[in-house]
Amino acid sequence: MNTIKLNVNDKDYEVEIDGSMKLVGLLRDKLHLMGTKVGCGEGECGACTVIMDGEVVASCLVLAFQAEGSKIITIEGVGGETGEHPIQKAFIEKGAVQCGFCTPGMVLSAKVLLDKIPSPSEEEIREAISGNICRCTGYEKIVEAIQLAAKEINKGEESYE
Amino acid sequence: MNIKQTYKASTTKEALELLEKYGEQSQIIAGGTDMVIELRNEKIDPEVIIDISSIEEIKYIKENDGYIYLGAGTTFTDVAYSELLDERLSGLKKSARLVGSPLIRNRGTVGGNICHGSPAADIVPPLLALDAVVTIKSNKNTREEKLEDIFLGKGSVDLNPEEMLTDIKFKKPSENQNLGFSKLGLRNALAISRICIGVYLEVEDNKIQDIKVASGALGVNGMRERAVEESIIGLPVNKETLDTGAKQMVKSVEERLKGRSSLEYKGKAVKSLFIEAMELAIGKTLS
Repeated sequence: MNTIKLNVNDKDYEVEIDGSMKLVGLLRDKLHLMGTKVGCGEGECGACTVIMDGEVVASCLVLAFQAEGSKIITIEGVGGETGEHPIQKAFIEKGAVQCGFCTPGMVLSAKVLLDKIPSPSEEEIREAISGNICRCTGYEKIVEAIQLAAKEINKGEESYE
Repeated sequence: MNIKQTYKASTTKEALELLEKYGEQSQIIAGGTDMVIELRNEKIDPEVIIDISSIEEIKYIKENDGYIYLGAGTTFTDVAYSELLDERLSGLKKSARLVGSPLIRNRGTVGGNICHGSPAADIVPPLLALDAVVTIKSNKNTREEKLEDIFLGKGSVDLNPEEMLTDIKFKKPSENQNLGFSKLGLRNALAISRICIGVYLEVEDNKIQDIKVASGALGVNGMRERAVEESIIGLPVNKETLDTGAKQMVKSVEERLKGRSSLEYKGKAVKSLFIEAMELAIGKTLS
């Protein structure tokens, strides 16, 4: 057992972990942030996607001790508890959610994409979510939702200017 | 699992001192995209894990004296989107871009891909075709080896328990030298190579002045295809030459994979993959 410090969703934590614990285990079992899902455990499905120091990672392939000093964003850190982020609103509006298991990962992958490329092409969107597997909707509505979210975010930014 | 101690090294020196202290009991982790799966499947059972993913001094892509240097901790994402690696190295960038998914490419490292020793390591064939040289350090010693020489068979790499790969270098291709890459996976994203091929080509007066071909997933580890190189070196750049090379590629693979169930498939597929990699290196379609 040892203790690590990290920042999750803008909050500092000190967490006791053991050497084999994975980041996804730390988030779910220690911090009780259950939005990050456990799927395949091998980095193939993307259900455990979180943003680590600005990049999406599979939290099932990161050992918890490696996250010492890192800044993590989980789905709970996006748009608050009611899901008010434009990406989340767009997912609801476009019907891009069915069972919801892939949704946290999809939203986080979309967020990093839109943070970097405000108006992505369809190809860039499909590439960005290529590590997130959805077995319900067939991706079309997810892609449409990300396109809608991009529009809404860009519109919002214009009105600020 | 018997993990007793974990360390997060912030300098190479710190990592090397830990490796010297713990030797065989220890295991390096970088991106973890292969290593965590091995832990999970109990293929490895280290007592000490040394994390090198936060060592900034091994994360770089730089150019110096006509050589390109890649730090072992450079991620696939870094390579795939590097502006320093130009059009002539598009084959190297392509190999990095086709690894796994963004989730994997953001964590997985060039050094990890090499040290894991997988026969299907995507970035190895392009680096072999570039005749890359690796730097391996221990606390007391530094050695340089040809990348080709450190592969000792499936999963086996010539690294002592107290050693760590720190750098990969290769000559920067000049104007008439180019690198091509092709990969056959079973799908687009998250595909493990069934076959991948890297080709380094130097063309002068429309003749193949120099060629280095390397393959992945066609043997116990990534390897140079010297018979293919010899079959077309000095020949003019045309469709006939491509066919001659492809024929030798098929022959080499048939000899190597004799008796394997994958032969029928790979023996056929390798032909068009070789031509695809060649044409990318040539810069145009000849077939």
